[in-house]
Amino acid sequence: MNLVLVGANHKSAPVEVRERLYFPEALLPEALQELTTYYRFEEGMILSTCNRVEVLVHGLQSNDAVQRARNFLCSFHKLRMDLIQNHLYDFTQVDVVRHIFRVASSLDSMVLGEPQILGQVKSAFQTAQAVGTVAHHLNALLNRAFSVAKRVRSETGIATSAVSVSYAAVELAKKIFNELTGKTVLILGAGKMSELAARHLTSSGISHVLVWNRTYQRAVEMARVFKGEAIPPEELFRHIERADIIISSTGSPSFILNRADGERIIHLRKTRPVFIIDIAVPRDVDPEINRVNNIFLYDIDDLRNVVDANLKQRQKEAVHAEEIVKEEVAAFMNQIRALDVTPTIVSMRRHWETVFKEELEKNRRHMGALSAEQESALQNLTSSLLNKILHGPTAELKLLSQDPARADQIEAIKRMLGLKDR
Amino acid sequence: MSTFFLLLTIAFYSVGLVHSFLTIITRKKTLFRVALLGIYSGLCCHALSIFFAWRETQHLPVTNVHEAFSFFAFVIVLAFLLTYARYRLESLSVFVFPLVFILTLAANLVSTPSSPQPEAFHSFLFYIHIPATFFGYAAFFLAFAAGIMYLIQEKELKRKRPQAFYYRLPSLEICDDLGYRSLSFGFPLLTIGIVAGSIWASRAWGRYWGWDPKMVWSFMTWLIYAILIHYRLSAGLRGRRAAWMSIVGFLFVLITFIGTRIQGTAHPFIRNVQ
Repeated sequence: MNLVLVGANHKSAPVEVRERLYFPEALLPEALQELTTYYRFEEGMILSTCNRVEVLVHGLQSNDAVQRARNFLCSFHKLRMDLIQNHLYDFTQVDVVRHIFRVASSLDSMVLGEPQILGQVKSAFQTAQAVGTVAHHLNALLNRAFSVAKRVRSETGIATSAVSVSYAAVELAKKIFNELTGKTVLILGAGKMSELAARHLTSSGISHVLVWNRTYQRAVEMARVFKGEAIPPEELFRHIERADIIISSTGSPSFILNRADGERIIHLRKTRPVFIIDIAVPRDVDPEINRVNNIFLYDIDDLRNVVDANLKQRQKEAVHAEEIVKEEVAAFMNQIRALDVTPTIVSMRRHWETVFKEELEKNRRHMGALSAEQESALQNLTSSLLNKILHGPTAELKLLSQDPARADQIEAIKRMLGLKDR
Repeated sequence: MSTFFLLLTIAFYSVGLVHSFLTIITRKKTLFRVALLGIYSGLCCHALSIFFAWRETQHLPVTNVHEAFSFFAFVIVLAFLLTYARYRLESLSVFVFPLVFILTLAANLVSTPSSPQPEAFHSFLFYIHIPATFFGYAAFFLAFAAGIMYLIQEKELKRKRPQAFYYRLPSLEICDDLGYRSLSFGFPLLTIGIVAGSIWASRAWGRYWGWDPKMVWSFMTWLIYAILIHYRLSAGLRGRRAAWMSIVGFLFVLITFIGTRIQGTAHPFIRNVQ
């Protein structure tokens, strides 16, 4: 196995460099072909996202594999090496395995545990499969990486809590109401921010949207977007108790909801809870309202605090995830090591050479003195016999060793020949 | 035989206890399968233990402290599994299993031989009175646990700085729903238990109501839950106040169940009559 990976990510390279290394999807087949033809790698795939560009290759047993992969990146994008070389990282062999496992498990992502990267790795792999530039080794590596990613996802909480403000709001709503289906959201102030927040909520199951705005026309327009209901400016307090969730982002310079309003709302709602998200600056809702039983008020800073806490949670979980990766790398390397057939071939040859030599010596006394010519003919005879006998098994072993899925067959052959790697 | 199975039971329950805690701490749901396995195995042994005790005493084995604790633990585990089937709340086990463990351990430690009981224990009313009351208590215990979870989660949400509990506890809605549902099972059961008990008492001892401490406390417990149910239904009482009432209500259950038992028998008046 001879794995090499060269690449750049959000940590190693600024966006100006990453965008120049980016492979548009349409160019990927051409680039992959170039890797395996012009650069003579046996296998190759390219992962290209907005946060990382990585070239993963196998084959070409030589010391300059890393250099050639770097050259490929430069010349394909027609960049000068000195401009990018400080931004590139490279890995070989076991480090490639570890890196790929970490990338697929989203441990190397800008937002730790974000779920998109696994899909991106999968599609990069599928593209390379379609072009035909991956075979046994990358197949084995990538399939293992996918199962490692799955294990990390199910055995750690790395992807369990929201790391964006909008999702944090949805998650908080679920911690209060459990299910959002059938719930009603009231949007105070029809603006970009509130629309975005409402969109997240409706996509999580909120079924009814009420819109209130100082200018009624604007409310009507936004209500149409959400197939909701516009509330006339003067009728806010006639409808407000219908809302389970209130998103507020008006341009009002003072509070539009205070504690007394909150108490009245809860009374009208027969103590059913209300979740108020105040994303306006200056704030729309008096923070005192949070003291009212069954009202939960979060302003924009509160939501950011939740996101920070969630990120810290993910970092804690990442420690477990790294342990899983470590374990899996070791297991994968063991599997790969079993594939190495060179020692088997060498010891097989040595074994039969000894057998031949011993037999020859035993029979020599029947032959009398031999001339130099006869002696060399005898040597030729044994060595060509040896070559002919060993040709089949050697070729077969080499063939098997190309496919990591057949490691157990190689194991069996080794045992059969009594050649437990000496 | 009964004691032997009770020992096995506690061994299995401790597996359940440990793995419940591990599940909640590490948030690895796979660990809970081990916990469930322990709980189910424990429950089977527990059933066997009760079965053998039953065969020995010839009546439902709940007449001394040892038997009552064991039976109550058994009922709580059953109630937990029923709840788990519906809500899938791993976090609930953290409340349930310490109590189950303590009850089973206590039952193991105070293993008193069961004395032959008067004829009265063969009445069918006895078989309504005891299971109904015990299942009612178990439901109240679940309501109590739901109340505590509610209060913790509510505090987390109000404080706006999510910590360990925020991630591990269910939503307020679920806690409230569990509390309400437990009450709606527990209250009728307790009512049936009390009514059956008093009819039984009148048949066996000639009076419906004795005003012994246990009866007084049961009556107060019943009253608290009656008020809670009433306000839940009529005034939409929910959330924090309902959670607090469920907690206070269960303290009354504890006093009724354990406090009055310190005097030796389930009902002191039974001893007096004897």
